[in-house]
Amino acid sequence: MTKHLQKSSKSLPSKPLPSKKDHPAGKCLMSRRQMLFTSGVATATVMVAVSSSPEAAKVPAMVATYPRKLIAKLSQLKTDKPIGFEYPDEGAFAQSMVVKLGVAAGGGIGPKDDVVAFNYFCTHQGGDLDGTYKGDTKSLGACPLHLSTYDLTRHGILISGQAYQSLPQVLLELDGDDIYAVGVFGLIFGRYDNLQG
Amino acid sequence: MSTPYYIPETNVPLPPKGAEVITTACDYCIVACGYKVYRWPVAGGHDGGPKAEQNAFDADFPVEALGPWVAPNQHNIVLHKGEPNHVVIIPDKDTKFVNTDGDSSLRGGCIAQKCYNPQTPTRDRLKSPMMRIYGILQPVPWDFALDIAAAVGNYVRTKHGANAYGVKTYSYQYIENTYAITKYALRHVNTANFTFHDTPSDVSSTPGFRDAGFDNFAPAYEDWMNAETLLICGTDPYETKTILWTQWIMKGIQNGQKCIMMNPRRTAGVAYAEKNGGLWLDVNLGTDLLVVNAIARVIAENGWQDADWIKNWVNNKWGSSSGFGQGTRNTPWQWRTTWGKFQTKGYDDWKKWLLAQDEFKPEAAAKIAGIDVAKIYKAAEWMAKPKGGKRPKTSIMIEKGFYWSNNTGNTMAISALAIIVGAGGRPGQVVGRAGGHQRGGQRGGKYPRNKSPMKVPGRRRRALDTDTWTMSGHTRFAHVIGTTWIQSMCGSQQLSKRFEELVVANPHQIRSYDKQDIIDTLKRRADSGGMVVINQDIYLVDPIGNRYADIIFPAATWGEETFMRANGERRLRLYNKFYDPPGEAKPDWWIIAELAKRMGFDGFDWQNSNDVAEESARFSRGSRKDFNMIKVAARREGKTLHQKLGEFGTNGIQGPVFMQDDGTLIGTNRLHDTTRVLPETGPAAGNVFNKKLTHFNSQTGRCNIEKSPWSLFSDYWEWMKPKGNELWCTSGRTNERWQSGFDDRRRPYIVQRWPDNYVEMHPDDAKQRGIESGDMLMVYSDRVPNLKETTLGVEGSDYSFSGQMKAGNVELTRAAVTGVAMVTRHIKKGIIFMDFLHTSQPANALEGRVVDWISGNYNYKMGVAKVKKIGTSPYKNSFRSMSFAPRDIT
Repeated sequence: MTKHLQKSSKSLPSKPLPSKKDHPAGKCLMSRRQMLFTSGVATATVMVAVSSSPEAAKVPAMVATYPRKLIAKLSQLKTDKPIGFEYPDEGAFAQSMVVKLGVAAGGGIGPKDDVVAFNYFCTHQGGDLDGTYKGDTKSLGACPLHLSTYDLTRHGILISGQAYQSLPQVLLELDGDDIYAVGVFGLIFGRYDNLQG
Repeated sequence: MSTPYYIPETNVPLPPKGAEVITTACDYCIVACGYKVYRWPVAGGHDGGPKAEQNAFDADFPVEALGPWVAPNQHNIVLHKGEPNHVVIIPDKDTKFVNTDGDSSLRGGCIAQKCYNPQTPTRDRLKSPMMRIYGILQPVPWDFALDIAAAVGNYVRTKHGANAYGVKTYSYQYIENTYAITKYALRHVNTANFTFHDTPSDVSSTPGFRDAGFDNFAPAYEDWMNAETLLICGTDPYETKTILWTQWIMKGIQNGQKCIMMNPRRTAGVAYAEKNGGLWLDVNLGTDLLVVNAIARVIAENGWQDADWIKNWVNNKWGSSSGFGQGTRNTPWQWRTTWGKFQTKGYDDWKKWLLAQDEFKPEAAAKIAGIDVAKIYKAAEWMAKPKGGKRPKTSIMIEKGFYWSNNTGNTMAISALAIIVGAGGRPGQVVGRAGGHQRGGQRGGKYPRNKSPMKVPGRRRRALDTDTWTMSGHTRFAHVIGTTWIQSMCGSQQLSKRFEELVVANPHQIRSYDKQDIIDTLKRRADSGGMVVINQDIYLVDPIGNRYADIIFPAATWGEETFMRANGERRLRLYNKFYDPPGEAKPDWWIIAELAKRMGFDGFDWQNSNDVAEESARFSRGSRKDFNMIKVAARREGKTLHQKLGEFGTNGIQGPVFMQDDGTLIGTNRLHDTTRVLPETGPAAGNVFNKKLTHFNSQTGRCNIEKSPWSLFSDYWEWMKPKGNELWCTSGRTNERWQSGFDDRRRPYIVQRWPDNYVEMHPDDAKQRGIESGDMLMVYSDRVPNLKETTLGVEGSDYSFSGQMKAGNVELTRAAVTGVAMVTRHIKKGIIFMDFLHTSQPANALEGRVVDWISGNYNYKMGVAKVKKIGTSPYKNSFRSMSFAPRDIT
């Protein structure tokens, strides 16, 4: 697992590297599951560990494997006005958004814990959610394909709809006024591995 | 069980080239989307790669939108022939029917998580038979458990009569199992103390359809798309039969269909319909009949009825009265106690009655229903007003929110509305149920109606009400198969209390190591007026298994045995076995056969599920899912029935199935298809052509247009309606949770989304009570009406709620259920809504345990409750679980 993830410390090309044959994805999955099952407390806190809270120290292995990318300035964000960026690479389904919700949110950064970022593709069948942000409900959707909606205050959990999981949340770090994307929770639509395509 | 904390995966293994591909269909909702299971061994690590030549999908990753993506929840590891295997289960992208775009709901989409895997929360699957010895459920061998159950069961039915042996079973969980269960219970035990999971007695779910002549599942899915106006009552298909919406109705709406939805909640489907020119009829609970009849009244007054259709396809006074042998008495509405209450002499007679009822004036109906009267006029216009000399093609769909509010009245009223708009027998002009479970029932015996002691004066006997029968202490042996029984019925907390008295508090409990001693103890339980409980299920269910069962039999289910079943357009598919059942779990047909053989019944020597299917085939003849000719074809070709059906893959074939002259099989697109031309020479060989193919299920083949008096229900409605601080209290399914959550409670993501039962409440109602989203609520009532004994009466008029109240046969009981407040704009003011079958917070406890007087069904969707805040839930101020955002975001 570590070997793979080290390869992805810089932006990856959209297509995966040919060396996959020697390193089947299943092995990654199993070893990562093992890590989660054996790391009790860290497992339970891993989702809140995205801000500068003390728990962050408990999950360095998961966060450190993704590129650290400057995506926006805190001072430029206006409430309910999403800004697009690409992450973790410039490949397919990398389009994401960062938004200041104006209310505290799971994984939120900034003085009000209200700045969050998410991948833009519906985890049901890959519908594009760009342009569907709703300020009154702090949500993305309805997806134009099959109407799924997601709650951005709660780690992108499905509100109503057919998606098989939450919207992948882009983990953020704040350094002064700079907002960095540093990881993704949840598999991005279309990919079999977030970092390999 | 899972906790509400879920850690998402960020990668998933792909099936390699050469992975085995097994077809099946989803286990859950009525739609039954086709799925493919990709299976490959864990050993060797030969997972697929991201290039087309490296994986079983022939697809390059990342895949396109709508492509064969695998979400981590679609992968699992199972045992196949004792060896660990990966399975990836995704909707079949190649199927031609049902989920045509390879679409799936959240429920079916994650069905891989259903599979038993000791590393997931499925680890508590029942793996061996168990017996409650010294108060603890302990594993015992199959023979030991079966011998004891059979000995006690046989004793009870011979000593106390067949009706002391109660069978409460699912109606749907595959043809092989339901055939075995009904053959055992109805033909051999021959008990009238028998019913299905969703009703206290074995009766028709939609009496109005039955009497009008409509089959519940006549339409084809394409009809719902092709209707120009579609009225949907008591359900949002997007929430509960998703693909029927996303692949059919939604496409209809995109083509300009006017979709009218009658439902007190504005969920995503309703919001989508409204946004695209549709209409929301936001009725108060139990007032559907008034609104339906008001729409009918507007149509009749304007002369918009389909006169040609009525002339050709609706009974006049001669047709209405024509019977078979027994004259006018042999029609169901007359069996149902209220002679003359429903029957008409045809359209004109019905219209005369309709116009004479002041409560059906649009303004009057709108007032009680709490809706804008303009919506009634608009709905009537859309459904029936001709434009440029052309009538709109109108269809009507109903489901439980509608037919479980005023069971007889609502279904009678909607049938008449369907008839006058010309719905029922033509493409795009249909009427039917949307459906709940899939259609997996195949009767192996006839219900022994004459053994039911429940009878309405001067009329035919009524199927025994198993709940009042059990409350009265007449059930001495309860055989419960794949249902919670308690929480699924109304007034659950009183039922539970009675089980406690009859089973747990009885002094005769198993405190022995000796088989004969145990048998004798349980016989003494039955003799002393107590009750013995045996339970077949896949998980230990609380309380029926966990607290009450003396003996538990572990069942094998979807994917663990090969089965057959039909969906909501009668489409039959083979559900292939693809992995080993956990431990010693066995399919229900096998458990029943082993019991039957021990009880001395013949005809249970099946070797496999195909044997059961083949035996059941001839009993399907003439039914809506007649599959007998598939067996005939199989025999000709030297195949088994399962093999032959399997050849149809996920496409399946729609029942009734016929054989053509060249030996090929052909299905039936829709029933009551008045445009269908059958061979003039009639049915050849073993084919069965009956009335329902081209006509209606009535005494003449034409529809009966019936009256639907509000007065048969209004006393209950008036008594029930909220008093003081009460609110209407109803319940139903939410998209993300299927049924009792037996699988969903073991899916971390779903438990994260819905950790507890919830109480949807309008912001005004919440404000008045000082309630905010995330507060923990007590939902309670001190007037839950319960029938004390079976219905008592002499005159027809005694058979009403007020009649039973007067006779002292209704006891007012209390109920209390907790839930998390969800203050939301998407529910109508004055109404609260809960998940209908959260087993630990059972909303049905608040609904009256009073049957519909005519049909014998419960009106589950109509109760009242008070609500108060008792604290704050853990979900109010944390972000990890639940969401309080509304379900109507478009």
